[in-house]
Amino acid sequence: MRSGLFARFNRVGAWILLLFLVTPALVAIPVSLTPKRFLSMPGGEYSLRHFTALFSSPEWLSSFFQSAVIGLSTSALATILGTLCAIGLWRVSSKYSEVVRAFLLLPMIIPQIISAMAFYRLWVPLGLLDTYPGMILAHTILAAPLVLITVSASLANFDPKLEQASRNLGASSWVTMWRVILPSIKPGVFAGALFAFILSWDEIVVTLFVSKFNIYTLPRRMWNGIRENTDPTVAAAAVVLIALTLIAFAVFALVSRRNARQSRT
Amino acid sequence: MASPVPTQGNLNIRDLSKKFGDFLAVDKVNLKIEKGEFLTLLGPSGSGKTTLLMMIAGFLDITAGDIDLNGASIANIPAEKRNFGMVFQGYALFPHMTVRENIGYALSVRKRPASEIKARVDEMLDLVQLQDFTDRKPGQLSGGQQQRVALARALSFAPPVLLLDEPLGALDKKLRVEVQDQLKDIHDRIGTTFIYVTHDQEEALSMSDRIVIMRDGRTEQVGTPLELYEKPESRFVASFLGKSNFLEQPDGLYALRPEKIDICAAGTGAGPARLTGTVRSITYFGSMLRVMVDIAGGTEVEVDVDSWRINTPLSKGQKVDLTWSDAASVKLARG
Amino acid sequence: MKTLGRYISPGWFLVAPFLLLVAAFYLGPILNILWLSFTDPVPGVGNYRELYESDALVRIIWTTVRVCIVTTVFSVLLGYVIAYAMVHAHENKRNLMLGFVLVSFWISILVRTFSWLMLLGRNGLVNNAFETIGIISEPIAFMRNELGVLIGMVHYMVPYAVLPLLVNMQTLDMRVMNASRNLGASGTQTFWRIYLPLTTPGLVASTLLVFILSLGFYVTPAVLGGGKVLMVAEYIYVQLLVTLQWGTAAMLAALMLFGVLGLLYVMSRFMKLSTVFGGTAS
Repeated sequence: MRSGLFARFNRVGAWILLLFLVTPALVAIPVSLTPKRFLSMPGGEYSLRHFTALFSSPEWLSSFFQSAVIGLSTSALATILGTLCAIGLWRVSSKYSEVVRAFLLLPMIIPQIISAMAFYRLWVPLGLLDTYPGMILAHTILAAPLVLITVSASLANFDPKLEQASRNLGASSWVTMWRVILPSIKPGVFAGALFAFILSWDEIVVTLFVSKFNIYTLPRRMWNGIRENTDPTVAAAAVVLIALTLIAFAVFALVSRRNARQSRT
Repeated sequence: MASPVPTQGNLNIRDLSKKFGDFLAVDKVNLKIEKGEFLTLLGPSGSGKTTLLMMIAGFLDITAGDIDLNGASIANIPAEKRNFGMVFQGYALFPHMTVRENIGYALSVRKRPASEIKARVDEMLDLVQLQDFTDRKPGQLSGGQQQRVALARALSFAPPVLLLDEPLGALDKKLRVEVQDQLKDIHDRIGTTFIYVTHDQEEALSMSDRIVIMRDGRTEQVGTPLELYEKPESRFVASFLGKSNFLEQPDGLYALRPEKIDICAAGTGAGPARLTGTVRSITYFGSMLRVMVDIAGGTEVEVDVDSWRINTPLSKGQKVDLTWSDAASVKLARG
Repeated sequence: MKTLGRYISPGWFLVAPFLLLVAAFYLGPILNILWLSFTDPVPGVGNYRELYESDALVRIIWTTVRVCIVTTVFSVLLGYVIAYAMVHAHENKRNLMLGFVLVSFWISILVRTFSWLMLLGRNGLVNNAFETIGIISEPIAFMRNELGVLIGMVHYMVPYAVLPLLVNMQTLDMRVMNASRNLGASGTQTFWRIYLPLTTPGLVASTLLVFILSLGFYVTPAVLGGGKVLMVAEYIYVQLLVTLQWGTAAMLAALMLFGVLGLLYVMSRFMKLSTVFGGTAS
């Protein structure tokens, strides 16, 4: 179709909007390079002092470490639970399984403030408040539905005849799962694991409710910094987070492109 | 649209070409289409027939050449101003509108009064016999019914030319033959020029006034179905339209249709045999038998025989004589 | 195992671990909160009666609904423009645009909120820039009011609005649009009469998704509203962690929960929910 005035207007508008989506976050970069002690734009002079402060502060380093531990554990646990669950629902494939699937997606859809209340309510009597297991368990329940979705999407493209062929060739259902099903849905499992990690790494609302002193994750420390609104170390942390996001995104894009190319040949 | 649309159209296509990057999809096609004609563009996929149709419809820009309608160039008229009806591959019915709304759409976007739209839609519903389905959505119709809605919609604004892009492709074989008759019937009644794209040779032979055989973006041969079948100019036409044997003679290459060969056990024929050979296989098709004959020297000839004409049954490995009349073999102008 | 398998599909054994986890550690406490809304501090519907009696509560709910509606309208509108341009762009450009959407989708909410704080303050970048060009003489109050909350929320929600629309638009048969042009409709007529109606499922999904996510949003209103724009989520936070009162918070949570579930039900009438939420994963 020929491109009319409207189409050209739409294209320009879309690019402006996309810039509106991405560029505001970049303001953290100049702010993090200010040589001053308070949050400000660098007036021509640049300094890395806030990055030095960030990486030599025991509090920030411990937050990085805690977030990494919680994120990786959540990712592992959510990936296992979500993948098993997706395969199970795919196997069952009845009207009950669809109801169960809808139910299991709820933690992702119900507003986080309500999820936070729920975990807080239960974690107090269970003594899980402000502990690693408490954080990991809460994040796993929120993140596994993401894995369920990505793995289910992969399974939707999986030809059930492959499973039958494997069984027909004498493989048990356990062996079939390891050697036929799992390799085929690897992209979905990988994407799910990544999404689960990002969710946990970035999660703040539930964290505010179920952590206190012992557990002080990166989002929580950033939250504090933002509320206090003075220390430029927050800007340095924000820049590090943006860099990590871009790296993760690049890795994800490369891997999924490679997968797409492999599946085409 | 102030004046009534001309209901008939002469199309003149001159040196029309289309390039996609470096790929020449349509290469200097020249074609005169008479008003009221049923013209079929026939060719294998990738031969440029759909590209040619899309340029006529105005969905693709022309790289070089021109298209005239009744003497005036339409190359720069946008698709929505060309007033050419079109039946799309897969029909492209509007899924959120009823049959009546689909058929009335063209007049509605032309801001015609409601009473006129209703009258015209009723007329169209009569034409394609869908009076009982006016309030259904396309999703609730069978393939054949959808096809008829698409036809009625395309004809609703009395276009001078109707373009049909593989309109029967989605139908099963039996229904196809039925719809072919209906299409031909409607064409005869309304006298609109039909330009029909297909890759199905039987469809082309049974419906068209003229057929354009396309290959690699060029017109390979243009003619009536009879001309193309009886007097193919090239090996490609002879083998694409029906089946053909090819015989290398001292003065050139000849095409010979399998059903024009007489076959009999060696030495039992009335005249001298043109070729002798050995039966390699016999396949039974009900009304006819297909006999593959190995000729000395390595060639293979296919012979189709009406089942009822076989007096003594043939068997595999038997020696046979092949004969045919002089008129049966056609000398090809091109290889 | 074998005998049980005769009655229950073996697939359920794989579903069980996560299902039990969600039932025990998630559904359980949520039901408990619903129960609390009728029992704390005293049994009865006292918490719900507050909706009639407390002006403050009504004002908070009204602020929440208003902010959510405005956020949704703008996010879906902007999302539609982006998705439309993406579907109609060439493949390379489309991938680049998708990259932009996904990157903004992935950048931490805290980073983005922090950035808006830097941009929108009295001495923020936007005000400074405007003053330098001379458009304004006094700094505009972008923050500690609804305007700031709306900017931050729309910015966060646009990617969520884009993805369901994109899924919907990509499934459209473009031949239908060609058919409309062929039948004499202009580009504008084709858009209003064919394209827009066919993207209704995407619009509904995207609208409800953004609205639902906005309802329980905490971070952006709390920071950019600066205490001046009190919404339900922040009120719940204060009730629980500062004043330690469960009753009213539980009642508000119950209202929000039923609101969300009701909207999900409406949404499921228009579209398979899995395709909507599956869209965010692509």
